[in-house]
Amino acid sequence: MSETQKRTATDPEPPRARFELEDTGFNEVPKKYRKFYRRWSGEKDELAPNEVLCPVCKVVIRSSRELREGDRVYCMPCMSRLVVGRGQGGGLEATVRY
Amino acid sequence: MSDAKRRPPHDTIRPELHDLDKSAFLEEVHSFEFWFQAVEGYLAETTYGHDPEMAEDPLSDEDRERLIGVLCNYCAGESAALETAAGLVSLAPNRMTKVFLSTQVADEGRHLEVFLHRLGELGVENPESEVAKRASPSMLAFKDKLAELVAGRDWASALFAQNVALESLEFVVFGRHAKTADRVTAQILERVVKDERRHMGFGENELGRYLRDTPDSRSRIHDLRVELDHLVDATLADTVRHLGLPADDQKELGRMYRESIERLGLLG
Repeated sequence: MSETQKRTATDPEPPRARFELEDTGFNEVPKKYRKFYRRWSGEKDELAPNEVLCPVCKVVIRSSRELREGDRVYCMPCMSRLVVGRGQGGGLEATVRY
Repeated sequence: MSDAKRRPPHDTIRPELHDLDKSAFLEEVHSFEFWFQAVEGYLAETTYGHDPEMAEDPLSDEDRERLIGVLCNYCAGESAALETAAGLVSLAPNRMTKVFLSTQVADEGRHLEVFLHRLGELGVENPESEVAKRASPSMLAFKDKLAELVAGRDWASALFAQNVALESLEFVVFGRHAKTADRVTAQILERVVKDERRHMGFGENELGRYLRDTPDSRSRIHDLRVELDHLVDATLADTVRHLGLPADDQKELGRMYRESIERLGLLG
């Protein structure tokens, strides 16, 4: 068993924070999906732990739970399937999976 | 930080969008129903793409002439996109992509109509003949190339030229123009950009899957990208000149345009 596997077995990941999503006024998808997206306001826009930026269309994707590396998210406005990873700056970044 | 609020710890996880199966997601976003409900969100209560009560900003003669020039080029691009998207329907490999392209045809028809209508609002008596006179040679050459690719029934090449190259170019140019345009033109452009998100996203994802499944086709698409580069650069230069933007903006728009091409591994 590797070191990583030992740590996982004895020190399980803390539970994920949950988030109540509200409509942000994003109107580019059907109403039932709107709470999962919001407009990005540029480089100074600080993303919450349940948010990641779509690299294809620059819309912020939101989840009802804290996002972690390896999670899969969908960007409906540009039809992309993405996987969450860790960027060079330490923040969460999404990568397209075709 | 978003306005999301933390749920109480006892709350249970509810099924959410990102738990959807991949095939269910693709089925949903390619559907006519999805498109219809999406565009309803930002086109309801608009007339020709903008709030009909919106007052016009005063424009100098010089600014008006510049705007007419750039809108003529947009019309040429949208006319090319309309004809190519319609042609792509018969080349598309399955029902889902055909249905999506049918919604794109409707979007492109709308774009052409709202830009022509805007030319009329700006006092152009015969917008279509003005487009024929003023459209840039590079955009017209791009249109000819798209028609050639569709006539050759080359799905992947036509998809790249239309939904990756042309749509990415329009996405970055319209988005940049909307930031400095008069309010009525800005409203029209902002709504067109919302459509372009779907079109370029469809192009990148569909072509990405195609290149993954048929790696031998990569060099052919790469060669096409090289061939189209000078048309894209010339079109971008014309637009930046019409808009009166600084040269640095052309570099930045070019960089943004190349992002999807880089993700597809077609640069270099």
